[in-house]
Amino acid sequence: MLNIVVCVKAVPDPKEACNIKIDPNTKTLLRCDVPMVLNPLDKNAMEAALQLKAKFEARISVLSMGPPEAGNIVKECLALGADQGFLLTDPAFGGADAYATAFTLAKGIEKIGSYDVIFCGMASSDGSTEWVGPEIATFLDLPVVTLVKEIVDCDGASWKVKASVENGYRLMQVELPAVLTVTRELNTPRTLSFSGIIKARKKEIEQWGVDELGVARETVGLKGSPTIVSELHAQEENKRQAEMISGTRDEKADLLVQKLVDAGVL
Amino acid sequence: MIDFTFTEEQEMFRKAAREFAETQVAPHIDEMEKTGEVSDAVVKALGEAEMMAITIPEEYGGLGLGYTERLIAVEEISRVSVATGMMLQVFALGIEPIVKFGSEELKKKYLPGLAKGEKLSTTAVTEATGGSDPTGIRSAYKKEGDNFILNGRKCFITNSHIADTITVLAKDEENPKAFCAFVLDKDMAGWKATHKEHKVGMRGCNTGELAFENCEIPATQLLGEEGKGLRVTMAAIGDVGRGGMVGVALGLQAACLEESIKFANERILYGKPIAALQTIQNKLADLKIDLEAGRLLGYRAAAMQDKGQRSSNEFAVAKYYTTEACQRAAKMAVDIHGGYGCMEEYAVSRYLRDSYVVGPSAGTSDIMKVIIGRWVLS
Amino acid sequence: MGTDHSAVWVIAEQIDCHLQSVSLQLIGRARKLADQLGTSVEAILLGDKIEEQARQLIAAGADRIYLGDAPELAVYQPELYTEIVVKLARAHPPEIILIGSTDMGRELAPLVAARLQTGLTAHCIDFVLDKEMILEQRIPAYGGLLSIICPEKRPQMATAAKGVFPTPEPDDSRTGETMMIDIPTHLPGRIKTLEIIREEPEGVPLETAATIVAGGAGAGDNEGWKEISELAATLNAALGSTRPAVDEGWTELETMIGQSGKMVSPEVYIGVGLSGEQQHMVGVVGARVMIAINNDAKSPIFEQVDYGVVDDCREFIPQLIKKIKAYQEKQVTC
Repeated sequence: MLNIVVCVKAVPDPKEACNIKIDPNTKTLLRCDVPMVLNPLDKNAMEAALQLKAKFEARISVLSMGPPEAGNIVKECLALGADQGFLLTDPAFGGADAYATAFTLAKGIEKIGSYDVIFCGMASSDGSTEWVGPEIATFLDLPVVTLVKEIVDCDGASWKVKASVENGYRLMQVELPAVLTVTRELNTPRTLSFSGIIKARKKEIEQWGVDELGVARETVGLKGSPTIVSELHAQEENKRQAEMISGTRDEKADLLVQKLVDAGVL
Repeated sequence: MIDFTFTEEQEMFRKAAREFAETQVAPHIDEMEKTGEVSDAVVKALGEAEMMAITIPEEYGGLGLGYTERLIAVEEISRVSVATGMMLQVFALGIEPIVKFGSEELKKKYLPGLAKGEKLSTTAVTEATGGSDPTGIRSAYKKEGDNFILNGRKCFITNSHIADTITVLAKDEENPKAFCAFVLDKDMAGWKATHKEHKVGMRGCNTGELAFENCEIPATQLLGEEGKGLRVTMAAIGDVGRGGMVGVALGLQAACLEESIKFANERILYGKPIAALQTIQNKLADLKIDLEAGRLLGYRAAAMQDKGQRSSNEFAVAKYYTTEACQRAAKMAVDIHGGYGCMEEYAVSRYLRDSYVVGPSAGTSDIMKVIIGRWVLS
Repeated sequence: MGTDHSAVWVIAEQIDCHLQSVSLQLIGRARKLADQLGTSVEAILLGDKIEEQARQLIAAGADRIYLGDAPELAVYQPELYTEIVVKLARAHPPEIILIGSTDMGRELAPLVAARLQTGLTAHCIDFVLDKEMILEQRIPAYGGLLSIICPEKRPQMATAAKGVFPTPEPDDSRTGETMMIDIPTHLPGRIKTLEIIREEPEGVPLETAATIVAGGAGAGDNEGWKEISELAATLNAALGSTRPAVDEGWTELETMIGQSGKMVSPEVYIGVGLSGEQQHMVGVVGARVMIAINNDAKSPIFEQVDYGVVDDCREFIPQLIKKIKAYQEKQVTC
């Protein structure tokens, strides 16, 4: 039985992300009006797990750290085909940087108990550090491959995967259990299905807080974060006053060509 | 206190239907508009996404969900393609009579294939002499031993050329007050799809004529009681058909509003987006009001239907309201777009053409008012 | 060394014995930070036959190089590289560690940071010392600039991309010390790099291009993207992108310009169907002329460019390409 854990995150919908502002007092994000969705790259992580489940006998646990509303995306993963869900939720987990997030998720994975491969999206669309996957691996003393774009050989306990490098790849041999962070190139995520949603009715989501994880409050959340936001500056804007080129489409194209000539492009 | 919110699960169904429509149906719209033909890829995708299985009971391979979930699916799909929403909703009109009135053998014979989308279905009631008034039909049957022999023609039948099974309403040759509903399938000889209509809108949804010539229908294909076919039509086709039109209309209304908002924010006149102009805001408000009202009417009727209550009148109200509203919505959307609204590249021009076909489908607005009038006076 | 602060480190990177420019750029920045802190700049360089590269790091401003020079270090090996850096950091604890946000750096940095139980900041566009001489790691976010600090844990770690900082002028008269490091043995051996394959990138490279055409979500679909790509080709420009275009699958991550992508400094920048989102625009530095085409007159891009066209790029770009080709043909025949 292949035990798979997929770490997922609820993020503000990237399509509406431009509406998000920073709270100047707490220096954290005010996410209120924008709906929370499953982090896009986590869909690729889920898809990788589901494809393995189609090949081998496997059990998929999905794990997320977030506010209670994040339970929706865990449910969505159950509807996609995960077997059980775990939500790490507690006010003490709030304000965590990548380190504290990875630490907490690692504790959650330890509590789940069995894991052969742990999938993460390579980055979240909001924080976008790319640190959580490798740091989880370090806390669990596991090898990690980041930017996985292809799983070449997954028969047995030693896998071959291709990780993305600029203009190419590195071919990695990695022993399970291991952490793999995935790119968009790895697969095309399936969409929700009606029957998947129905099957999810029978699946459970467990909620764990500080007590269930057995962690000290100073090691998680804002308190457990080595980095903090100290200042918010107004950016020196790259402000230019655009001269608008107008007219019919034809006229605009002609005028723009002239500008390109003046700029030395043509 | 009435709870007007959808459940978490229903929101997930909506999300799944929307994702499906945007990724699997949207890419084929151009082709459907050009050819007017049903897209095989879309039909296949609908089957794989289990869209035909929604109201089929689980024991026959369906999802066993209710009319609310069905309305959500039709609404979301119609928001992207009215033609596809219409095709889907009419599949259900060939399915519902079997579920409600079919014998166990008929259910086992047809429902699993229909649920998978391997077989497609439709209903054939309307004729040149009666659509809104089914008692005016002329297609007739006579009993001959273990078979019924059917003769006649049906017109304006959605999915006429793609259906594998058809629920047909015909009257007794000898007794004009007796009607029967049958399930026909392609194994039976004596019927065929003949003329294909070329519609100005809802392109990608097939509409056409069916002809029956001494078509031999085994008696086992009868739905409900012999002579009581009108009951089948009203109970299984009427409400479900109207409910489906509500979904189609709501989807179209939502699309009109979304496109209008987008355009109003982008189009600059007098140095500002036209969304700043009160006349445009009025139109957007009208679109919004109609959408809110239509949704409440539609989902109220579907909720009643889910509870097993009689909902024909409520669906007549919802059908009338939303199909009229979607025609207003399409015209308003085109107006907001100004000259661009007449151009093929702009989706709203398609919405306008689609809206013309939504109106008279599954009963004209005038007939809905007759029904509602009767309700009021009863 | 008799200073209050320990050294500023750079984890340098070589590929096929070519020192990566980001490493030199970070040495340059580290030099400035170290001078303010009154301390030294030290670099770790791992590879095979890389003595010359070590000298380049000194010429760029490093005082000491920890050199791992062995065949098994030729390519990035996660376990080995992490172990070496962690051991060195424990033996000679630095104040600050800077790493280039290359594909190697973005994996090695968190592995080291988690082992050292310290903080790490990603994709910084500036490093400044605050009043307490703590490193302010600045990143652009949501219309502002965030300063992130690691007030207590040491070392303070951060990554920055190529092109954020200028490449320092090499000073060959500079001297420094090179310390050979021991290569650890007896590692668990649970992960191994078997091979690294790189191809020559197609088209004009972004970092050196004089003209860049960048496309965004406004392309709409693959067809729309092809038009934008053709515009770039017609102008002999490099093709760039924003994250939405990469996420939609129209183009590769390599073309992405911005905070988590590439930093570029073209002469002329043409943004097509993108809204001037901060995460992208921060990657475009010092362009002489900036042009944008977007169908939304209210788009923030028009506050950041010199010339703007409001139009649906899917309709406008093909027309523009026609006009450009017509102009180019005239030039040939005149």
